[in-house]
Amino acid sequence: MTLLFVGLFLLVAASASAVILRSHRWSDRVYVALVISGCAAALVPAIQVLAGGSSLLIIVPASVPGGDWAFGVDPLSAVFLVGVLGVGAAAAVFGTGYMAPERAHRSVWPAHAVFALLVAALVLVVTAQAVVPFLVAWELMALGSYLLIVTEHQHADVRRAGLVYLAATHAGTLALFALFAVWGQSGGDWSFAGLAAAGPRLAAGSVAAVFALALFGFGVKTGLVPLHFWLPPAHAAAPSHVSALMSGVVIKTGIYGFLRVITLLGTPPAWWGWLVLAIGIASSVLGVVWALAQHDIKRLLAYHSVENIGIILIGIGIGALGAAYGQPAIAVIGYGAAALHTVNHALFKSLLFLGSGAIVRMTGTRNMEELGGLARRMPITWLTFLVGCAAIIGVPPFNGFVSEWLVYQGLFRAGQAGGGMRLAMLGAPALALVGGLALACFAKVAGVVFLGQPRTPRPLHAREVGPTMFIPSVALAGACAAIGFAPVFVFPAILRTGTCVAWRNECGLSARSASLVAPELGSVFAGAQRISLVVGSLVGVLVILWAARALAVRRRSIRMAETWGCGYGEPTPRMQYTASSFAAPLLEVWGPVSGVHEHHGATVFHSTPTDLVLEGMVLPLWQRVRRAAVRLRPIQQGRLHVYLLYVAVTLLAMLAYLVFGPTD
Amino acid sequence: MSSPVTSLIFLVGLLALAPLVPGVATRTKAMLTARRGAPVWQLYADLWKLWRRGAVYSTTTTWVFRFAPVAVTGTAVAASLFVPLDGRSAVLSFSADFVAFAYLLALGRFALVLGALDTGSSFEGMGASREVTFASFVELGLFIALSVLSLAAHDLSLAGMFGAPLASRWADAAPSIALTGASLFALLLAECARVPVDDPATHLELTMIHEVIVLDHSGPDLALILYASALKLALLASLVVHVLVPWNPPAPVARLAVLALGLLAAGVAIGVVESVMARLRLPKVPLYIAGASALGAVGLVLLLL
Repeated sequence: MTLLFVGLFLLVAASASAVILRSHRWSDRVYVALVISGCAAALVPAIQVLAGGSSLLIIVPASVPGGDWAFGVDPLSAVFLVGVLGVGAAAAVFGTGYMAPERAHRSVWPAHAVFALLVAALVLVVTAQAVVPFLVAWELMALGSYLLIVTEHQHADVRRAGLVYLAATHAGTLALFALFAVWGQSGGDWSFAGLAAAGPRLAAGSVAAVFALALFGFGVKTGLVPLHFWLPPAHAAAPSHVSALMSGVVIKTGIYGFLRVITLLGTPPAWWGWLVLAIGIASSVLGVVWALAQHDIKRLLAYHSVENIGIILIGIGIGALGAAYGQPAIAVIGYGAAALHTVNHALFKSLLFLGSGAIVRMTGTRNMEELGGLARRMPITWLTFLVGCAAIIGVPPFNGFVSEWLVYQGLFRAGQAGGGMRLAMLGAPALALVGGLALACFAKVAGVVFLGQPRTPRPLHAREVGPTMFIPSVALAGACAAIGFAPVFVFPAILRTGTCVAWRNECGLSARSASLVAPELGSVFAGAQRISLVVGSLVGVLVILWAARALAVRRRSIRMAETWGCGYGEPTPRMQYTASSFAAPLLEVWGPVSGVHEHHGATVFHSTPTDLVLEGMVLPLWQRVRRAAVRLRPIQQGRLHVYLLYVAVTLLAMLAYLVFGPTD
Repeated sequence: MSSPVTSLIFLVGLLALAPLVPGVATRTKAMLTARRGAPVWQLYADLWKLWRRGAVYSTTTTWVFRFAPVAVTGTAVAASLFVPLDGRSAVLSFSADFVAFAYLLALGRFALVLGALDTGSSFEGMGASREVTFASFVELGLFIALSVLSLAAHDLSLAGMFGAPLASRWADAAPSIALTGASLFALLLAECARVPVDDPATHLELTMIHEVIVLDHSGPDLALILYASALKLALLASLVVHVLVPWNPPAPVARLAVLALGLLAAGVAIGVVESVMARLRLPKVPLYIAGASALGAVGLVLLLL
């Protein structure tokens, strides 16, 4: 536990070093060293807890209202801590390389300083064990994210994205205040332990209210459909390493919130499980359909976060239903799948955002229609990006497959379990559809951005980024491959986390409850072992085939020629399929749900995506609120005597109330 | 007897004989249209010829283009490890291994599509776009079918869901199983690029799907791709056989006969479909796949009710 605070101290020191050294030539190196050592130090207790060590707790006496401040690391905190620290360190290192070229025309130290503080705030969010420090850290996180989103505030769309984010996140925070107010109404202290003790005394209505408020308050942060509208503009506007941290970790704090509430309050009502499952399916399908429509690579990745949050929510929904319908093994698998997919998504999504950052830095554009042929020019970035693509579409041998497989386990076991729960199985085909659509989407990204020939002059002079920008990507890609190759090393920790969530943080199971889940978890664990065997055989077969092909091709005539143009003699790069045309057949099937507007011309085809929720619902609603507010404007006259009149009238009204109102 | 050795023998047999299945289909088509046609083993001759040929590579391509044929064959071989070819056991079997089966095939498709986009050809881009579009709906239908079978057989592995375990469930779940078999066969036609979704005999680039994304491959690369297509067809056909044949004899030789006759029947069925139907217009293909999936969905509803 001491190491956690050492880590926090080092992160704050990193922030201070950025402020003090500013544009000193050593500033980046000192900053990177402090961030990495801080993350490494704080990682130690997380790994200890995940490896089976006992949970840690420290109580800091505080004189502010709301009782003492408690911080602790239990398995649930530890899983998220690993994501925060791993992604935080990688993104911070990348950030120094990414921001370096901007030193010439503006100061970049504020972004670095805020970034280190944001990582520290995230550590506090997932380790806080009392309401007041949790909400303080939550707010620090929200403000830190806002400041980083508006880093490039000279652009109007960046400022607007920041404003939308700020409004949305505070609406969510308001719901969290209400949540804790409902929960804590029966007295007791404001530590999480106190809330857990107060849980059984809550009326059924209050429990329902707490879960509903959690769904809204934490849901805004995670970006589930339809509360996702702030997410794509914010992720696109932020610098790429900030997008990586936000998409990889910041939005996951909402998932942490869901799982923490379940851990403290116990089994959610069945309707909540069904609702979360339904929202999860809707988010994953709509997220990937909307992603397909995007041509801005960072907006596309942001919509994929909506999709993956949906997959995580399917896991939570299955877990909640398993607990509600008396299927403890399914509860453990569902919550465990959610936790594992959270970590996996943090790894591959931040990897993809870092890759997009490298592209943006080298070509100066986020528009995929202007790119092409980057694979030859940026081979390392291409390879790591490809690993990220394979991981996010969930194919072996990478980590995305492992967690999606675990989600499928939960869904199919729900079907086997029978009873009312068997309908949850309908999520499996939906998840398969999401996998197919994600494949289509990343074929589009990888193909249009990296393969073929440059569509405009922009990518012509791109070259590989420097080591500070590719080493973090290589490390993240390595982590994706490691979990994909040998999932058995993470499964004990993941299943234990699932157990902690399902049994109100009693991670050490009693003999009776252990016997309830042992056979099913055993078969899941055996499956995880076989996955390594599958991956091994796949790699073996690929190596053999590659060698056989090399032998066959050797000593044969190999000619190089132009791509076959079906007899057409003068092919140009402009004749290549574009991102718009690649996605067109799929989007056509989805019709108006996809939200694209197509522009057909004699020689042009282009599609522009819109967000159905932001442009279709939120902004029109906001316009109405504004128009209503304008009507109230005459109240404000700006003259003193009018306000004196208001005071007098108010006083008279209150006197009248005292005299004529109810007497007792 | 259903030891791993038997499974391995079946697997090696399938890997060796897979090119016969498309051969049977082509032969059936030739007979029904009163043409002389190619012999059943034509694909072997083609593969042998291509394997010894040189290759032409586009100057636009990178290693992705060269790796794609290896990946598509390698994933198909790896996926065949899970298929209970004798209707009882597979070489490798674990809970929810069908996810690995489906996602390995998806990995192969991803590699093939990237290989196509690597050429920068507008035709290959078009084919790639169509391939991923239709495949995503096939995936939906496939998992609906798998849901039915896992419910019917009460198991979560391919070896526990196909063949012998399913055969005993025909008594009380016959409509669902039959519908699922029909659905799987219709999906097979889409996934393996056969009529009515795609026509392996067509050579007009604008109308092709699967054939157009291998337009630039030649020599050993093309041989690998052709072999992988045949293997995928044989794998999916053997799954259909083990859904629709409600009989799984104990003797390995008899089981071998069931599989061989079943694959022959599947080849003939594909050939018949190709002789009596025209290809659908491209915008109709999603409807076709949705219809195939709906068959499975009806089976699922019948079981869930």
